Amino acid sequence: MNIIEVNNLSKTFDLHILHEKHITALQHIDMTIGEGEIVGLTGKSGSGKSSLMKCLHRTYLATGGEILYQSLGGVVDLVSADDHAVIALRRSEIRYCSQFLSVIPRVSAIDVVAEPLFRTEKDKELARARSKALLEALGLPSGLWDAYPVTFSGGEQQRVNVARAIIARPRLLLIDEPTASLDAKTKDTVIELIRELKGHGTAVLCISHDEYTLERLADRRLHLQAGRIISNVTQVI
Amino acid sequence: MSAENQWLLRVRNLTKIYGEPGLRTLELTGPQVNSNICPETESIVACAGVSFDLYPGEVLGIVGESGSGKSTVVKLLYFDLEKTAGSAWLAPYEEGRANILEASGQQKRRIRNHLMGMVYQNPREGLNFGFSSGGNIAEKLIMAGQMHVGGIRERASYLLEKTEIPVRRMDDTPGTFSGGMQQRVQIAKAIANNPPLLFLDEVTTGLDVSVQAKVLDLIRELQQELGIAMIVVSHDLSVIRMLTDRTLVMKNGRIVEAGLTDQILQDPQHAYTQLLVSSLL
Repeated sequence: MNIIEVNNLSKTFDLHILHEKHITALQHIDMTIGEGEIVGLTGKSGSGKSSLMKCLHRTYLATGGEILYQSLGGVVDLVSADDHAVIALRRSEIRYCSQFLSVIPRVSAIDVVAEPLFRTEKDKELARARSKALLEALGLPSGLWDAYPVTFSGGEQQRVNVARAIIARPRLLLIDEPTASLDAKTKDTVIELIRELKGHGTAVLCISHDEYTLERLADRRLHLQAGRIISNVTQVI
Repeated sequence: MSAENQWLLRVRNLTKIYGEPGLRTLELTGPQVNSNICPETESIVACAGVSFDLYPGEVLGIVGESGSGKSTVVKLLYFDLEKTAGSAWLAPYEEGRANILEASGQQKRRIRNHLMGMVYQNPREGLNFGFSSGGNIAEKLIMAGQMHVGGIRERASYLLEKTEIPVRRMDDTPGTFSGGMQQRVQIAKAIANNPPLLFLDEVTTGLDVSVQAKVLDLIRELQQELGIAMIVVSHDLSVIRMLTDRTLVMKNGRIVEAGLTDQILQDPQHAYTQLLVSSLL
């Protein structure tokens, strides 16, 4: 079963304040992500990887085409679905993990990670316990758990970011460079954690430049060049 | 996924015009002419055609420059101003079937006291400076039908504690408090009756950044804990980014763009929103 089916997706930015400049980010994108499938998204900077991911999250409004998402409640076109439907899906099923942690200030690392669980898990301490377990697995020093992630190093922020993305076991995970700025051991842990989600049926779209990560993680790769998919490589693992 | 009847507040075509509008007033005003003054009648269109749905527990932002009509919208919904046209339905009032803007004065007071809370930019609008801080909270509770003195005092101290006002200052008047504290007393008062809907009108404007942070943290905490739906009016995109799920962008009395807050900030569609976002520090 496909969790995501993208048909003829395009994205153009119309910059009114720059003398009506138009920038084409994506053209004629067709792709699918199956249940329990990890799709690696590759391409040079500026090829449209993040734009595609953001269209799937509705952070960007697609200009044309459709993104059919097989939600628990039926098929939803993420291009045209109303905002409330998208908010509901983001709360329960879809999670986007950007390359850089951007969180609400003055919230401890534990709570930043546990926050996606707070909506469903009424017992906050239980949610926090799962958050701690994840942070421990990812090797974030326990002295930092109560601190605010804004002051963390790149690698520490990345651990918090990944933990937050996977804690609630989304059905669709959009994850941008999950292993950048991580040491080899933590990289393996992240790979393992994402593969565990796959085992639960999560569909994953993963942007990465890291061959090591892609080799171990991706069932299939899509390569973007100048806003188009130029190859669709299936890799047997 | 049909969510047609899940709204807490439904607003359609909300309009406020000062002066006598002509037949072409709406046509001759708005963002396309960059003015809300009708050239034929000189009437002023504070807001027009404003429509949206607010869901239970949702935080909706309204952003725009001074004079865009964003405060007018919440003041109309809180009955501080009288609408020129439009309708609003509140799910817990008459099962969402009666236009609250057409309710009698007595009914409006009831709705306000039981189902809504308002926090103004200026604490003097929301608080009675002749009463103690505890008295201000008591006033709201009494209006909401709470008559037991012990119960009122208990609730007041609970709310002051929640909003980090030292309970021993319960009997002091807001005039003796700092700006940030006044704002927190105002929030305590606004949520005293456990309303499902809270309006916040530029509540952090004019506060020091550290005080601003405390007020924002408090609002976020209350939202998470109590699940109150909120409409947050602000000209400050950082406030909008931190608090809201969805945002309406207003200019010259009209909504020019509506969307998920991250979409509004990262992929703004309207020229005015693009200007606003690119002006963000």
